Amino acid sequence: MAVYIYSITFKDHPLRLDGLEGVGASASPLRTVTAGPLCAVVSDAPEELRPKRRDIGRHQEVQQRLLADGTVLPLRFGYTAPDEDTVKQTLEERGDEFADRLRLLEGCVEYNLKASQDEEMLLREILTDSEQARQLNDDIRAGTAAPDTAVRLGEMVANEVRARQEALASGVIEALRPFAREIDSSPPTGTDFLNVSFLVSDEQDELFLATELSLAHQMGEGFEFRLNGPLPPYSFI
Amino acid sequence: MTMVPQSSGNLARSGGSGTLYDVLELILDRGLVIDVFIRVSLVGIEILKIDIRIVVASVDTYLRFAEACNRLDLESGNKAPSKLTDIVGDTLESGAKGKSKGALSGAAEAVTDTIRGVTGKGDDEDEPEEETTERRRRPAKRSSRRERSTSRAEE
Repeated sequence: MAVYIYSITFKDHPLRLDGLEGVGASASPLRTVTAGPLCAVVSDAPEELRPKRRDIGRHQEVQQRLLADGTVLPLRFGYTAPDEDTVKQTLEERGDEFADRLRLLEGCVEYNLKASQDEEMLLREILTDSEQARQLNDDIRAGTAAPDTAVRLGEMVANEVRARQEALASGVIEALRPFAREIDSSPPTGTDFLNVSFLVSDEQDELFLATELSLAHQMGEGFEFRLNGPLPPYSFI
Repeated sequence: MTMVPQSSGNLARSGGSGTLYDVLELILDRGLVIDVFIRVSLVGIEILKIDIRIVVASVDTYLRFAEACNRLDLESGNKAPSKLTDIVGDTLESGAKGKSKGALSGAAEAVTDTIRGVTGKGDDEDEPEEETTERRRRPAKRSSRRERSTSRAEE
């Protein structure tokens, strides 16, 4: 029977799987497949899997539970193997590689930070700073502007927005860099100007969190910092 | 933001904002991939990808920004710009050349202050003026983030 794979850990991990439900409508119980020093956490694969909140949430809950007690290699959502033997065989064949990764990630967690800035506040600031932009804006309001003025103003402002947001993003990342072992920056989405993951070790955890909190407060109103973690090291595998 | 409600205990430290939603891309696009395993076909996964960044170079974007600027009431709302100036410093100049550098070094200054605060070097009297002002403005440090996102949502 096909199995869904959640995570790989060392087999001496406490593996408290009680009360957790597997993905899919049947919510199959979780079990482990062991080979050598390693262990894979699996459940029966559901007939149908969809990237819905329920199943994504269950996948994630398994990782969080395992992370709470030790080191975990989280699989990407949605992977299945034809049967347990295939899982076992994979753990045997690639055991050294998995064990190395687990050792590298020992005592580390991921934090993902997203941040946005109130757009109105940003635009205000740009118009306050740039006489040229303000002049174009005034012309448009007064109805005395040439037909292409809106596009010119918009382009000027868009470039400013990008420059300022990139500067803010690198400022935040540099502030937190001393407390992270690795950094993985992704393109921000929506109105965010920052989307970055940090791999943080036990020893640095407190300083990282304190710095992030302090940074968020220092940026002040109009900024929203969304920190998620501790997470299993999804981005650092 | 339809996937927001998720009451996971230690997952989200930031108050109120989406937790599972904010880590979706990690769960779906990161993590270990083992090539002998098969990924089930994920119908609907592309929906999550359409949330592209707003700042792209196009006439539509330019016009949207221009309209947003036209709508701004520059006279009444002058609290916001002065606050941003606190953060990025006074070094900002309106020339395009000096801009990003100014903002960046301003951010770096903010960073230095932050680290100083965290490592606990300075007691209250050593803290820069700016820091004191910030504190007065927001007495409840812990909860201010939640307040911010709540008020944003209500707007």
